Amino acid sequence: MKTYLMLAWRNLWRNKRRTIIASASVFFAVLLALIMRSMQEGSYDYMVDASVSMYTGYIQVHADEYWDKRSIDKSMVYSEEIDSRLENIKHVTLVIPRLESFSLISYEDVTKVASIVGINPETENKMTRLEDKLVDGKYLTNESKGILLSEGLAELLKVGVGDSVVLYGQGYHGVTAADRVPIEGIVKFRLPDLNKTMVYVSLDYSQWLYSADNRLTSLSIMIDEIDNQNVVYENVKSLFDEKYEVMTWTEMMPELVQGIEIDNASGIIMLGILYVIIGFGIFGTVMMMTAERTKEFGILVSIGLKKGKLALISFLESLFLSFIGVAAGVIVSIPILYYYKNNPIELTGEMADMILSYGLEPILPFRFAPNIFIDQFITVFVIALVSVSYPLLFIRKLKPVEAMRK
Amino acid sequence: MKHLIIISLLFATTINAQTAKEIIKKADQLMRSDSNYGEFKMTIVKTDWTRTFGMKSWALEPDFALIYVTEPARDKGTVTLKRKKEVWNWIPSAQKVIKIPPSMMLQSWMGSDFTNDDLVKESSVINDYDHRMIREEDYNDYNCYVIESIPKPDAGVVWGKLLTWISKEQYFQLKTEFYDEDGFLVKTYLGTDIKELGGRMIPTHWEMLPEDRPGEKTEFVYLEIKFNIDVSESFFSEQNMKRVR
Repeated sequence: MKTYLMLAWRNLWRNKRRTIIASASVFFAVLLALIMRSMQEGSYDYMVDASVSMYTGYIQVHADEYWDKRSIDKSMVYSEEIDSRLENIKHVTLVIPRLESFSLISYEDVTKVASIVGINPETENKMTRLEDKLVDGKYLTNESKGILLSEGLAELLKVGVGDSVVLYGQGYHGVTAADRVPIEGIVKFRLPDLNKTMVYVSLDYSQWLYSADNRLTSLSIMIDEIDNQNVVYENVKSLFDEKYEVMTWTEMMPELVQGIEIDNASGIIMLGILYVIIGFGIFGTVMMMTAERTKEFGILVSIGLKKGKLALISFLESLFLSFIGVAAGVIVSIPILYYYKNNPIELTGEMADMILSYGLEPILPFRFAPNIFIDQFITVFVIALVSVSYPLLFIRKLKPVEAMRK
Repeated sequence: MKHLIIISLLFATTINAQTAKEIIKKADQLMRSDSNYGEFKMTIVKTDWTRTFGMKSWALEPDFALIYVTEPARDKGTVTLKRKKEVWNWIPSAQKVIKIPPSMMLQSWMGSDFTNDDLVKESSVINDYDHRMIREEDYNDYNCYVIESIPKPDAGVVWGKLLTWISKEQYFQLKTEFYDEDGFLVKTYLGTDIKELGGRMIPTHWEMLPEDRPGEKTEFVYLEIKFNIDVSESFFSEQNMKRVR
């Protein structure tokens, strides 16, 4: 066996140019497929991850009907016990309580509509990195009686840190919710929608403001890996009866799921076309190589090399050839994908608008995960191996006398 | 002779049109006069909770109104001021007057089934719509005119059509149906419990029933009404919002 391996390896380098051209066709195929897939899956990962950690979390618990009505009247009672039971579920990394409602926010003559979100500043920050978005003033604490105002809204109201604004809206069961509050900090969101509407207050303060003692509109749950989502969902659901609704991000953001599905379908079609082109490219190279060596094969069989052995050597050659191409493709793409994972491409124009409309930043990060490499490695390798079955058939049908005359 | 019939027919329809508008006007006059003062209770009924407010109101028709909340304690002192097409709120706990931005005009007023826009538009019904009597029928033992009101093209009105039942003799506005632009019934306004208040026989119990939320409603019960009170435009000012009791 060792002899055959040696023979195949030497055969390969007997004609360097041929080998390099053939493995280059495999190399480019792998590189292209890898970059395309990495870009696509990377953008999906990003969209899901960004949307989920920006706001909803992977799973949310609300009082029944809250998601449809979005009314503080459909809030639920919060207890430490619920919290600790949720946190004890395996794979759950964070449980984020919120109390949200809309209110008017007013300073001097200007009045705007704002989304007032009562948060636990510490856990909220772990999830959404809210503190990093601070551009002025300081972050909230549990005892804060002030607000964090989004930058766009601050501009519209013409206020800064230290000014006091008036919040005016409706609390739980129609109670008037009104108060004058100081601005403790300004946060900047890249999304215009958020930047013009968001106001954060501490959970305790929001419960007082809305006369909703101990109540929450939602509990968001973050998990370690998206693959564990279904297990966690079942576990969470078993903790709550029908007075609650437990929803996953796929239910809360169906437009995101659909967007990804449509895009992915077109991506898979593109990938299929790419594979077909790759397949024919490799096949063409192999065919030419075989034709070139017809005389050589004829002589080898004539002087007594069994066809089976010849086929084995030829197969090993192809194996090496494909492997060199695939391996080179993977090795070269690793730094490229890694670079673009950490330095996402910034989009502009229509594409950027589309992504902005999902409420995401218009960037295109790559996915850098073993499964992408493994998938593309195997697929292209299989295509290469299928193409190289041609010389095997060719050798089986080889007539040495005719072949030698060529 | 033929001409005469045609002319008289034409004449009849114009009379009819005038009458429809006049009927609406008379019903409106009955409830509002040129100015009025009222004390009432507003009850918001939802499927899982109920809340009652005590209120006082002053109005100089058709453009000015001021509503002062007397109970519950947390809301006491809240004032809503309407001046023409604009609405302001005075919030005593924050010591602040807030003008309701246009984007909030279609939001609920004090959590009720009325919108801020309803407050502004209710008294302009007479002139914002073309009125037509479509039939006469008995409703709640009263012989009523049924008047269809279609908004004029340039009137900034959210409704597609109103149907109003007004009793023939006393001009009680017993029922109004609000239809959207696609012709679907959105909410119904009912006037009942007719008794003497402020020297007149009027419906003293009003209800607004939203069609899409069965079991929910907003009720008004009038406790006191005075008509043609002595009040001037200057009463309906931002400064006065902070002073009225």
